[in-house]
Formats: sequence, structure tokens, C-alpha cells
Amino acid sequence: MNPVVGIAAFAAVSVATAVIGFYGLRISRTTGDFYVASRTVRPWWNASAIGGEYLSAASFLGVAGLILLSGTDALWFPVGYTAGYLMLLLFVAAPLRRSGAYTIPDFTEARLDSRVVRSVTSVVVVMVGWLYIVPQLHGAALAIRITTGLPAWVGQVAVVAVVCVTVVAGGMRSITFVQAFQYWLKLTAMALPILFIVFTLAGSGTPAVAAASVNPTAVAPAGLYQNISLLVALLFGTLGLPHVLVRFYTNPDGQSARRTTLIVLGLLSVFYLFPTAYGLIGRMFAPVLAQSGQADALVLLLPGQLIGGVAGDLLSALVVAGAFAAFLSTTSGLVVSLAGVISQDLFGGSVRGFRWAAVISAVVPLGIASMTGSLALAGSVGMVFAFTASTICPVLLLGIWWRGLTDAGAIAGMATGALLCGGAMVAGAVLGAGGPPSWLAQPAAWTVPAAFAVTVLVSRATRNRVPRTITRLMTRLHTPERPLVTER
Amino acid sequence: MTRVRVTAPRSITPGATALPSARSAADSRDAAEESDAGQVFVRSLIRTQLRLGVVVAAGFLLILVAFPLMLGLVPGLAESTIVGLPFDWVLLGVGIYPVVGLSAWLFIRTAARNEARYRDLVGDK
Repeated sequence: MNPVVGIAAFAAVSVATAVIGFYGLRISRTTGDFYVASRTVRPWWNASAIGGEYLSAASFLGVAGLILLSGTDALWFPVGYTAGYLMLLLFVAAPLRRSGAYTIPDFTEARLDSRVVRSVTSVVVVMVGWLYIVPQLHGAALAIRITTGLPAWVGQVAVVAVVCVTVVAGGMRSITFVQAFQYWLKLTAMALPILFIVFTLAGSGTPAVAAASVNPTAVAPAGLYQNISLLVALLFGTLGLPHVLVRFYTNPDGQSARRTTLIVLGLLSVFYLFPTAYGLIGRMFAPVLAQSGQADALVLLLPGQLIGGVAGDLLSALVVAGAFAAFLSTTSGLVVSLAGVISQDLFGGSVRGFRWAAVISAVVPLGIASMTGSLALAGSVGMVFAFTASTICPVLLLGIWWRGLTDAGAIAGMATGALLCGGAMVAGAVLGAGGPPSWLAQPAAWTVPAAFAVTVLVSRATRNRVPRTITRLMTRLHTPERPLVTER
Repeated sequence: MTRVRVTAPRSITPGATALPSARSAADSRDAAEESDAGQVFVRSLIRTQLRLGVVVAAGFLLILVAFPLMLGLVPGLAESTIVGLPFDWVLLGVGIYPVVGLSAWLFIRTAARNEARYRDLVGDK
């Protein structure tokens, strides 16, 4: 691929991001603006922003790559990523908005009336965020290496630098516009090339190289256990993701939080048709990409492979731009929510503290990413979902729906989930060479029930610790807001 | 456009009012909701919403499981094609999304109706 194409595409996305970020800077003035855009963001903007933030390197590159490798088995990834939002809508969206909490630690502290729970939740949230940023940076490294031939670290440093500048400059308000723009950019960058490819192939009558059902490599497909475990992780992991939850505060009330989620589901459903199409076309027309170990770069390479010439270069530039939009948007969303958590706990919630916290949140994962090798993108993000599902999800779900949850139960549950799932990740990485057994590679099916069980049992045993404020809180979480009369 | 400025993000003080409330005018209704009689309605609303969520989730998961089962159990189905595309790909890669959207839409409609009924019960305008 022509290296100029990659560099130009990345520069264009970065400039657009920065310009929109600075435009947002002029609107955001108060501390509230910095955190959650002062709750004035409209549902369509907010939903586009959630979509933009959510569609990460895993969705943009990893899903198509995995479908190329594993065929219909990998279709569970996009289905799970979308259905996770359904679970979020059913059990979390409206009550979380009504809780009035900015962040997950805010919620757990208010719900359980305990500073210790707040600190433990903060630690878990920061771990989740960092774990999630690392694959984004690996994606950036891959994209820079493949498209420009520059050393991999250039991509990682560039993404972190652009994210720091935008977040430090504008906070959540500008990020909302940036993210909303990036959803539509990603959708266009994904859809146009594959539609062009499909029409070209159909027009020229090029015969397929292989059938869609033919496995292009010798790697065995995932078994039933792995598929189920993956679905558990994705269904229950989404509702604990810090950058997703912070967005719900920007809705004016619970019902609009639900409407926003419905729009998000539509946006995600449309988006995920395209990685599926890339995977299918890749299997039928370019299985060689899987055989040469470049599955994760399928989306980046397919236009050049099947179209070529100037048209191929232009389409490649578009997908590269979309890929960088994916790295930038997910990373900045995570950095904003992590900075919110870190600055409130460490710097007392000032705007200055938020800026410092943003830099810390972005630079630490850069260090981790430069020390670790790249795994399959969709797989490593799947692990983050498993971790979230085993730590934050039980506390959130039980906290919203069960009066019996206590601070001791919440802490025990989060600790159990973190130890089991984190342990499985570390053990899997140590055993990595020959491929870990499936129960370690995809631990959610047993770590999530274990975390739930421990949370419930410890809460039952410490029944006298149920906070006195529980009646008031449950009423607040679940009853509809009254129409506002005083504010205009 | 209603614009609510949030000026103090750390307004949650442990022990006191656990969650920030901007509307002091509504305090009397808060008290009514926290009374024993009010709590009967609140508890019933929570139960109804939870049951709704669980029913929709279970229905969705059943359909989700039914798709691959159908492909596995009906001979020749996975190999058949629809508008030139393999049927198993269309079913899992396209067909599930409308089910997700429909479940979500049904949930939102019913949840809003449950809340409206609650409002009627507690006499909120």
C-alpha cells in the first residue's frame, strides 16, 4: 500500500478531531461541562456519540478478522456486542440515569453509603479502562505498520497524543461532538469500500476463490463452551463499561436514557452488517490474508487487494481514516471516564485535576501497550468484557434491583471476580505458547456466576449492613422523574 | 431548551442525602413515597419493571439459541442460499439484529406504560 495514503488519512482524522474538539472548547466552561456535557446533549447526538465511542479497534478491525478466520462462529462477536446494549437497556439505563451518579464509583458509593466501596470500585474501573485502551493502541500500531511502514510505536504515541490534546482541551462536551462525528465517519469508511467491492465483483463476474464455509487456516474453530462463555462476557460486560455508563448522565431523564439506548442499538446493528460482509467477502475472495497471518488487517487490506489502482488507494485511505477514528474515539471516551474517576478521587474534582488525570489515564496504557505483544484484537477486547462482567456487572445489577446488597458483599464480589478473571488472563498469557485450555481462554462462563454468588452470599451474611438510606434510594432509582417546573 | 448547569460534581456526601436532589419543592411527595403506603406502589413498580426486563431478556436469549439449533437440526438448511448468500450467514449475521431492535422497542413501550400507571396511582400530574 502507498505509505502516503496511510499518513494522509491519519493526519486528516487527527485534524478533524482536534478542530471539533476546539470548537467544543468554546462552549464548555463549567466543571459540569467538563464531566458530562451538562446533560444538554440531544438523544441523536448522544446515541451517535455512544456508537462512536463503543465501536473500537475490535469492532472495526478485529471482528472482520475473526470472521475471516472462524466463519459463522465469529458472528457471535458482533451479535454479543450489540445484545450487550439490549441488556444495558433492560436492566441499567433508566435507573442509572435516575441515580444521578456521574461515574460507577459515584453510584456504588451512593448506593452502599461507603467510601471504601467507592475506592475499590474506582480501582476496578481504572483497571478495566486501562485494559481496554491497550488493544486500541495495539490496533493503532498494526494499522500504522501495515499502511505506512513506519515503526509500530509511532501509531501508539500519535493516538495518545491526539487524545490527550482533545480531552485536555474540551472535556466531555467537545468529546460528544467528536465521538458523534466519528461514528458516522466509521460507518462511511466501513460501508463505502465494501459496497464498491461487492458491486465491482458482481459487475465483473469474478468467481469466488473458496466457499464461505471453507476454513482458510488449520486453526480449529471455537467449541460450544467458548461461544457460550463469550456471549456471557459480551452480554454482561457491556453494562459495566465505564465509558458507556458515563454517557447516560448526559440524558435529561430516565425515559430519554432508554430512547438513546434504542437509537444506539439501531446504529450498532447497521454498523455490524459491514464487518460481517468484509469477513464473508474475505473468506470467499481473499483467504490468502488469513493464511499470511494478517487477518486483523483484513479491513485495511481488502480494498487494495480486490480493487487496486487509484480507486483502491482512495478506498484504502477511507478505511485507514475509519480505523484511526475507531482508535481515537474509544481511547478518548475511556480517557474521559477514567479521568473523571481519577480526578474526583485524587484531585478533588477540579478542571485542572481533570486535565492531569486525563494525561495519566492515557500514558499508563501506552506504557503497557509498548511492553506487551499484540494479540488478536477481538479476542483481547473479549477478555476485557469478561473482566467487566465478573467485577462491575454483579455490583451494578444487584445494586439496582436487590435491596439486600451490602458494602461487604460488593467488595467481596468485585475482589472474587477480579482475582478469578485476572488470574485466568495471567495464566492464559503464561501458558500462551500452546494456546491455553478453553476454560482459561474464555473464563466468563464460570467467573461471572462465581462473582454473583459471592456477592449475594456475603451480603446475606452481613445483612445488618444494608444502608439505612435504601428505601429512599430505591425510590429514586426506579420511579419516573417529575416534570421539571422550576427550571427553564 | 432546558439547560441544567451542574456546578458541583462532588455533591454526594456520605450519610446525608445520599443522592443530590435539585428539587426541594417535591420534598413533600418524597415523604409520601417513602411512607409505608407509598412504598407499596414503589415496590410493585420495581417488581413489574424487573419482571419485564427478565421476560424480554429470556425471550431474546431463547430466539438467540433457537437460531443455531435450527441450523444444526434442519438438514440442508445451513447449506441453502438466500439471494446468493449462504443461509447460515444471513440468519446469524443479519437476522438477529431485527430481533434485538424489536425486543428493545417492546421493552421501552411497556416500561413507559408501567411508569405512567405508577404516576396515576400516586396522583402525579
